[in-house]
Amino acid sequence: MPTEKVQTDNPSRERVLGRIRAGLRTAVVEPTALDRGRVIFEPVSDPLERFQRECVANLMECALTVDCAASARELAQVLQSLPAGEIFVQDDPSLRRLIEMAASAAVSGRPIRWSSQGAPAEASQATLTLAEVLIAQTGSVLVTAACGGRGASVVAPCHIIYAHVAQLVPNLATALGRISQQRIFDHNSFACVISGSSRTADIEKILVQGAHGPRRLVVILQSGS
Amino acid sequence: MSTAAQRFLHDAAEKSADLMHREIIRRGMDSYDAAHLKGRARIKDWEAARQKCQEIKREAVNHLDRYLLQFEEKVTARGGHVFWAANGEEACAYVTNLATRLGVRTVVKSKSMVTEEIHLTPALEKAGIKVWETDLGEFIVQLREEPPYHIVTPAMHLNRGQIAKLFREKLDPAITTDDPVELMAVARRKLREAFFAAEMGISGANFLVADAGVIAISTNEGNGRLCTSVPRIHVVVTGIEKVIPRLEDLAVLWPVLATSGTGQGITTYGTLIGGPRRRGEADGPEEFHVVLVDNGRSQLLADAEQREVLHCIRCGACLNICPVFRHVGGHTYGTTYPGPIGSVLTPHLNGIKEFQHLSYASSLCGACTSVCPVKIDLHHHLLQNRRNAVSAGANKPSERWMFRAWRYAMLRPQSYELGGWAMRKALRLIYRLGLAGSAFDPMQVWNCYRAPVPLPVESFRAQWRKSVRSNGDSAT
Amino acid sequence: MPRHVSLFIPCFVDQLLPQVAVDTVKVLRRVGYEVDYPEDQTCCGQPAFNTGYWNEARPCAEHFVRVFKNAEAVVCPSGSCATMVRAFYPELLTASSCRADAIALVSRIFELSEFLVNVAAVTQVGARFPHTVTYHASCHGLRELGLRDEPLQLLRQVEGLKLIEMVRFDECCGFGGTFATKFAEISAAMGDSKAECAAATGAEFVTAIDPSCLLHLQGILGKRQARTQTIHIASILAQQSVAQQSKTQAGSEQKNSRPQKTLQERP
Repeated sequence: MPTEKVQTDNPSRERVLGRIRAGLRTAVVEPTALDRGRVIFEPVSDPLERFQRECVANLMECALTVDCAASARELAQVLQSLPAGEIFVQDDPSLRRLIEMAASAAVSGRPIRWSSQGAPAEASQATLTLAEVLIAQTGSVLVTAACGGRGASVVAPCHIIYAHVAQLVPNLATALGRISQQRIFDHNSFACVISGSSRTADIEKILVQGAHGPRRLVVILQSGS
Repeated sequence: MSTAAQRFLHDAAEKSADLMHREIIRRGMDSYDAAHLKGRARIKDWEAARQKCQEIKREAVNHLDRYLLQFEEKVTARGGHVFWAANGEEACAYVTNLATRLGVRTVVKSKSMVTEEIHLTPALEKAGIKVWETDLGEFIVQLREEPPYHIVTPAMHLNRGQIAKLFREKLDPAITTDDPVELMAVARRKLREAFFAAEMGISGANFLVADAGVIAISTNEGNGRLCTSVPRIHVVVTGIEKVIPRLEDLAVLWPVLATSGTGQGITTYGTLIGGPRRRGEADGPEEFHVVLVDNGRSQLLADAEQREVLHCIRCGACLNICPVFRHVGGHTYGTTYPGPIGSVLTPHLNGIKEFQHLSYASSLCGACTSVCPVKIDLHHHLLQNRRNAVSAGANKPSERWMFRAWRYAMLRPQSYELGGWAMRKALRLIYRLGLAGSAFDPMQVWNCYRAPVPLPVESFRAQWRKSVRSNGDSAT
Repeated sequence: MPRHVSLFIPCFVDQLLPQVAVDTVKVLRRVGYEVDYPEDQTCCGQPAFNTGYWNEARPCAEHFVRVFKNAEAVVCPSGSCATMVRAFYPELLTASSCRADAIALVSRIFELSEFLVNVAAVTQVGARFPHTVTYHASCHGLRELGLRDEPLQLLRQVEGLKLIEMVRFDECCGFGGTFATKFAEISAAMGDSKAECAAATGAEFVTAIDPSCLLHLQGILGKRQARTQTIHIASILAQQSVAQQSKTQAGSEQKNSRPQKTLQERP
């Protein structure tokens, strides 16, 4: 149990805690616990196949590539499809290399803002980042503050993720377990499990893709070195 | 009768008869029902998932002090601030003072029912601060100057035409379309300015994770992401019951919340935030405050029957399935939390005398209990609330006398039989005189909306004695 | 297996819908049960219990337990009233001297369709009902007693009966006991929606295991002057098939082209 610090500027802290403890003195009946043998989620047998399938369901794009050169070509293609304007890139050696390789018409002439220079500009056309892990069960990518910060995955209309097949984990439980084991929050203030493009169904329950965040979420998923 | 009850009766009568409202809600709920069923099918053992979620919440709530302190310690160690508010006024005062002290002029808010509960927005506005609701549905109801209609889909009572008209009047007279894609684009453009101008972002939290010391927010639009990324101050306002023990608990809570809320397999953004921006991070708020709101919740802990009401994860499933909600709509309840969970919770939070009528405004069909993802026995709690209301003397004296007379008759089979016979005879006479539904009709309320009940000359027991008992065949 | 059952006829069925009780007796006898009707029974206490008057409901529940405590099996043509005993008596009678008898009664009380299918193991009761019928799943039967398929199993075996499923068949009809008068407008609106779903099937009859739902629905349908009529499941099952008639040699005067009595008929 953690030690209690008394905060002088919070007079109600002890009062609320006192009320909680007084309430908890009432005994309640504890019903029986769940039989541990029960399996809540279907186990994931083929993570890559499952991830690709869930990506489709989540309205995100997943491009499977064999090597770095193919990934660069894929990136160039995505960038070419976007309007002119600045792109924001997580400052990481692997992404610098990828950008260099993709340095064709798509990138040249486009201003690049690196995460080491600060937050992405409001008018960024795309952001390019890495991910911590990919989750097959839900077709999700886990990003942290280390992946170019918080805005990198939400500010621009297109978010591109460069990932490797080896980063696939079967399910949400494994991914969350990894956050705990690697003590991610000891050096990150933020993490996010992203499962598709931003969306809303607030008007007549009709699905609209691209609400306040990216309309497109592209995963360039590389299998080779 | 309390004023809240009078208002409820009045609004319920009006809304129930509003066929356009009924049609909009039915269409919305039909699409939710389909998605919800599909979503549930994606989970291999839905019942096991519900039970797991119930266990997680029970463990958290039964050790609430310990888990809240664990959460607080972690957040504080990272430079975040945790404020404990005994009630809504304290919470509002804390946030308003903070905003004033740090020179905040504009606030962007992502969806949070707790901020509705404590009336935070009016408090900030009173201090001269501009507040923008940024969830599309919340933005719409804010423009209409009305509270959210539903805890998950705040503007589900409006159709696209009504929203287009609203946007035309309030945002841009040049809007000609009523296409939801275009309407979203209009809101996006408008709110972008707000996100990048605001000094403070306010969010709720779906969960407070004790072992990791982080808040978890589930959103689809990305507005919650922007509120917690762009402004330099982030304030989280949340109820004390939102704490869960372990980060891994989200592996089941997240999919179950998404399935129950919207029918999705998982919400688009499952955001975890543990403190202010750290050194070396590209962006993020410099200040991180968590306001833990009690506001009556700790009283429920002492209620052995109803402590589990604190397990609620605010998914909205009980509202969606509730036939009463489907007919009277969210605003009629006149409470922050409408629908079954609101009818259970509100008498506890806002007073049993003022709000006991909500516990009665249910047919006790139990649909809510059957869908609740944390297995709260909602309709049973409504029954307990009714019992508590009677014990507290909150009901009409005439009703008390009626049930006393009823008990007298029911304990004496002969008076029951005589009473029944006399009643049928009297009603037959009244109806023969053409007075059905009039002030002379004891069944007036029933007969206002229905054809009169059948009034046989002989009760079953009379027929039993005469013929049915002795000879089955003669009865056929 | 019991061959003798005691009838629990809810008070409003006794007073307003006696034919449902008569038909229940008929069906039970036809499948081979001796039926008795303890005449001291009154009401299970549900109206008071549901309205919050537990102190008024308790003595009624105790009275009920005393009346039925020696019954081999109790059968009731209402899911809601059976629920009152099975689901709520143990809680209502926690501190009562009748508690042990009440808990013992929990496993011996059955709704009619539940009794026929799960206890008597009969789905074919020799009924004929040449009409189109749609089924409303009454809430208490469905969610408290878990009777999803039992009534349908019985209906599917009825000769000549054509079952048409209605949309939202499991949404509440809006009766809800005192709710129906305390919040008459909401109750009526819910009934209206249900009536619409039933009417949309084009079926001649809407049936259910709970007479209370049907009493309310019949009132709504009557007000709308709808073509659809309500009929309790017991009254469908009581309509004898020709084969059954000749077997019992009692059907000579029977003509089964129309059911004898439905709820809308007032003597």
